[in-house]
Amino acid sequence: MKFKIEGLTVYFPYEFIYPEQYQYMVELKRALDAKGHCLLEMPTGTGKTITLLSLITSYQLANPVGKLVYCTRTVHEMEKVLDELRRLHAYQEKEIGKEAAKILALGLSSRKNMCVHPEISGEGSRESVDAGCRKLTASWVRIAAVDNPNIKTCDFFENYEKKGADALLPPGVYTLHDMRSFGREKGWCPYFLARHMIQFANVVVYNYQYLLDPKVSGIISREMEKECIVVFDEAHNIDNVCIEALSVNIRQQTLEGATRNLGKISQVIEKFKATDANRLREEYNRLVEGLAQRGNLPVADNWLANPVLPDDILREAVPGNIRRAEHFVAFLKRLVQYIKGRLLTEVVESEGPLSFLNSLNKECSIDQKALKFCYDRLQSLLTTLEITDTDEFLYIQSICDFATLVGTYQRGFAIIIEPYDDRMPNIPDPVLQLSCLDASLAIRPVFERFQSVVITSGTLSPIDLYPRLLNFNPVIFKSFTMTLTRDCLCPMILTRGSDQLPVSTKFDMRSDPGVVRNYGRLLLEMVAAVPDGVVCFFVSYSYMDGIINSWNEMGILQEVMQHKLVFIETQDVVETTLALDNYRRACDCGRGAVFFSVARGKVAEGIDFDRHYGRLVIMYGIPFQYTLSRILRARLEYLRETFQIKEGDFLTFDAVRQAAQCVGRVIRSKADYGMMIFADKRYNRHDKRSKLPGWIQTHLRDAHLNLSTDMSLHIAREFLRKMAQPYDKKGQGTNATLLSQADLEKMEQMENMQA
Amino acid sequence: MGPEEDGTNPMDEDGDGDAEEQGRDMEAWEKAYAEDRSWEALTEDASGLLLAVDVTQQQRQHRRRFAASKGPRIQRGIIRYVFVVCDFSRAAAEADFKPSRMGAVANCVEAFVREFFDQNPLSHLGLITIRNGVARRLTDLSGSPEAHIRALRANLECSGDASIQNAIDLARGYLSSIPSYGHREVVILYSALSTCDPGDIMDSIAECKKANIRCSVVGLSAEIYICKTLCDKTGGVYSVAISESHLKELVLEHAPPPPAVAESAVASLVRMGFPQRGAEGTVALCACHREVKLGGGYTCPRCKARVCELPTECHICGLTLVSSPHLARSYHHLFPVPGFEEVSVQLQSMGKFDVLRLCYGCQQELPTAGSKAIAGVRLECPRCKQHFCFDCDVYIHESLHNCPGCESLVK
Ligand code: SF4
Ligand SMILES: [Zn+2]
Ligand SMILES: [Zn+2]
Ligand SMILES: [Zn+2]
Ligand SMILES: [Zn+2]
Ligand SMILES: [Zn+2]
Repeated sequence: MKFKIEGLTVYFPYEFIYPEQYQYMVELKRALDAKGHCLLEMPTGTGKTITLLSLITSYQLANPVGKLVYCTRTVHEMEKVLDELRRLHAYQEKEIGKEAAKILALGLSSRKNMCVHPEISGEGSRESVDAGCRKLTASWVRIAAVDNPNIKTCDFFENYEKKGADALLPPGVYTLHDMRSFGREKGWCPYFLARHMIQFANVVVYNYQYLLDPKVSGIISREMEKECIVVFDEAHNIDNVCIEALSVNIRQQTLEGATRNLGKISQVIEKFKATDANRLREEYNRLVEGLAQRGNLPVADNWLANPVLPDDILREAVPGNIRRAEHFVAFLKRLVQYIKGRLLTEVVESEGPLSFLNSLNKECSIDQKALKFCYDRLQSLLTTLEITDTDEFLYIQSICDFATLVGTYQRGFAIIIEPYDDRMPNIPDPVLQLSCLDASLAIRPVFERFQSVVITSGTLSPIDLYPRLLNFNPVIFKSFTMTLTRDCLCPMILTRGSDQLPVSTKFDMRSDPGVVRNYGRLLLEMVAAVPDGVVCFFVSYSYMDGIINSWNEMGILQEVMQHKLVFIETQDVVETTLALDNYRRACDCGRGAVFFSVARGKVAEGIDFDRHYGRLVIMYGIPFQYTLSRILRARLEYLRETFQIKEGDFLTFDAVRQAAQCVGRVIRSKADYGMMIFADKRYNRHDKRSKLPGWIQTHLRDAHLNLSTDMSLHIAREFLRKMAQPYDKKGQGTNATLLSQADLEKMEQMENMQA
Repeated sequence: MGPEEDGTNPMDEDGDGDAEEQGRDMEAWEKAYAEDRSWEALTEDASGLLLAVDVTQQQRQHRRRFAASKGPRIQRGIIRYVFVVCDFSRAAAEADFKPSRMGAVANCVEAFVREFFDQNPLSHLGLITIRNGVARRLTDLSGSPEAHIRALRANLECSGDASIQNAIDLARGYLSSIPSYGHREVVILYSALSTCDPGDIMDSIAECKKANIRCSVVGLSAEIYICKTLCDKTGGVYSVAISESHLKELVLEHAPPPPAVAESAVASLVRMGFPQRGAEGTVALCACHREVKLGGGYTCPRCKARVCELPTECHICGLTLVSSPHLARSYHHLFPVPGFEEVSVQLQSMGKFDVLRLCYGCQQELPTAGSKAIAGVRLECPRCKQHFCFDCDVYIHESLHNCPGCESLVK
């Protein structure tokens, strides 16, 4: 259908629209009009993606704005967005004609997801595909191949290069799959084609990293115009993504690998000195003039940009002491040696970048300036030495990554060295972490570069905290609730067992056998009353292991298995995938199953337990971060000092958003229904409860607070029976949950009359 | 499309095979749209929640439900072969229904068996129970209500797991051998929330579909995906009971004959016998009880064996034995009284309906716009235009199967 929002014609590919979708569009349009950033919370299952796409593409049709840059967390989400866009585009074509609706929309991902080379694409990891491709496409390889037909190159790349500027993608909507088929058909490399086509596209869909991680965004997203509209979808963890983009961990094996890398590099340098000393000399001269102008590098050689933010990159000549290849290698050797020494420590050390630099300078006379240039210097060297197996040189890259970051930033970072994991003090596992403490650092360039940045998710509560964490001023921030024809959400807060004793995962209570038993009884009662799938989330792996063991000893697990099969998430991805598969099968065939999972784990973030795959989710405890973690403590301190965010506030916020994320897994559409049990007495407190997203809070009736196991069982039974009844999905009168074009027109008329 | 597809269940998007494949590609919420569209056509015959307090509302709902079970005039299978499956697994011991789920099921089945033979005198019924993961046939497909009820009453205990697969496999074994004009059905009263099956239940469901067996489930606790799938694929109805009375209503909804399945709907001839009532005082060896009985009973016109009750199959020669009233009663499913339509009481203020102050059926006063004294709905027969009260509507459509207004029209 087609309707107007404050004068803007919006094309929406369905006959009905939810009221909250309409509201969302209104707010979004205002933000775009104001050329500002916005923060919008709308529950999953309300069609957020189509709402965004529909408004923004309609806006693009009517206004001279730049492209829509849509960032997702996973490839799967990316494909969903593009599929949705395809449907929208078909509708627009129908409404306004093929020519007027013409767009180019495409997805971009790493080579691993885009490569069509018969051998390379079969490589297992992202790094190996990258390296495999580089071996075939590096400029010197291709030059050599001209004379020597035995040297392999990639035909897709060659064909694409041959076409030059004529290698264009016709307008349309392309998922990764479409890109690959198109590439195969034409014989062009889809990856490089996509990278090239980004500048002409109206809609680009890719991963967060392509904007937030300077290493990638420096290459991919460099040439985007200011008028772009950037969307971060499912952005409730965006602060963590930002932080990770600027953090580096160095372990024992990193250092060993780096040493090996350096040995190899030295060998190659010797070889070159003997055969082609000119090359090294040329590089030296180039470095005197300043670092290689990236834009001039052949596209295939240019594979990782500087890890620091674009504004902080120095545009000067490389310092003299690392210009010569062998000097630079020696420099790196000293650095690696120094870090090795630091890792030998037996106590935890924590310091700021400044003091780290000081001692580094004192002990090995390595200065900050040279450190800053490490990463670019290394890239230059690897290119000069014509090294293609980049996946083997990851270790030394990490070291240079670290060096450049530490040399560039003195604020907002901490260096923490831990000789072992606190939770396993007997196993030495030293690690040096350069941890970014300030999420606003990585995202600042995005806010500055682009006119409108939209941050949206199903859980952004409390919504006023995000602007502080990310240090920006949204022109609009708003939380929408879901209109429902029936109460298909049933959140409950369970504070005690049937014996009236309180339950909690609070540190002093969690191993209390009474609490463990009460938690077990809760599960047992529920698996007997809830059909098909039940999901349980625990606060951590170690807690989950512990409690499952205890339940096993108490015989509770055996009883649970009389009703449902039990599956467990492990840290092994393959194992977990298998477990999930079998879990789904058990739900499908009527056997019923329970899935034990961990908050903040892969499953909690990315797997949906909608429909019969999750009729109930139990959140055991509040998933606070491991508060003894030094990184967390450094971050808390930083947040307090810089942004005046109280420790407790941040921790609770973070824990509750994870919990909301976990329980939100069961509702993915309005036709769905599910129950959520927050099993911890602390949830009953206002400070915790009030941080839950609005769409949960509105369903959290007083009668569902402070429950015991038997009370919640009663509620559950009634709820399930009620939900099994047929219902009127459209809603009636004031309760309408679907608006048609006619409804919207009526609304508009009324508004006009009032105005 | 029969009224059975009326989305009695909120999980419509779980559709069948192909639809599910596509479903995966669809955005979850967008499925909601798809459903909503399908809903439009269905508002007429879907039943609402059963919690209404308002008399008028309640009456409307009853009518809507009834209309749903009747649907438009369609071909119906009046010769049915139905297995009623009672789940007597561990879950049936729960006491959330009074006296227990098992007790409630037994009561409902008893009522159902009687109602069933009343409405389908030419049909057959058998009982199956599930206990300890095993399905057992309690009574064979037959036409004698008392025998079924007796067998059920003697078998009330529950334990172990439930298995839908075992139950439908067993039922299919018996049903697949019945003549093709018969309408094959399985009605499962399911207490448990899971099913522990020996093999892949999807295979069994596919087999049922192939054998044209319509499987319906009445759940006692919550919606279960596999039951939903089973009903969807085989064209049955899935419903879940909220209370004892609701349970009974849901079970009894299966008493009127369902619409005939297209493939098996070819007209076919059935050989039937109309036995004579035996003279009082004659002594004969009864074929069904295998003992000597005095007087009464009926004599098979083909082999002269004596049977006690009608309708039944002759125990000796297998002829279907019915009485002519039975046949006549089955007829109403083929020529139903048209559904009455509700008349808005408000229209009356325009003075149009002054004459029709009383119900044509029972001569009780009908609700009017002015008086709030009489609650309820006012209904009109579309053929004879007479007005009726709610009670008469129920009586005419569910028992009498004749409209007094139409009957007294001058031909
Ligand atoms: S150029 Fe393209 S197709 Fe060839 S190996 Fe690299 S990514 Fe694969
Ligand atoms: Zn007899
Ligand atoms: Zn006979
Ligand atoms: Zn009456
Ligand atoms: Zn009457
Ligand atoms: Zn009539």
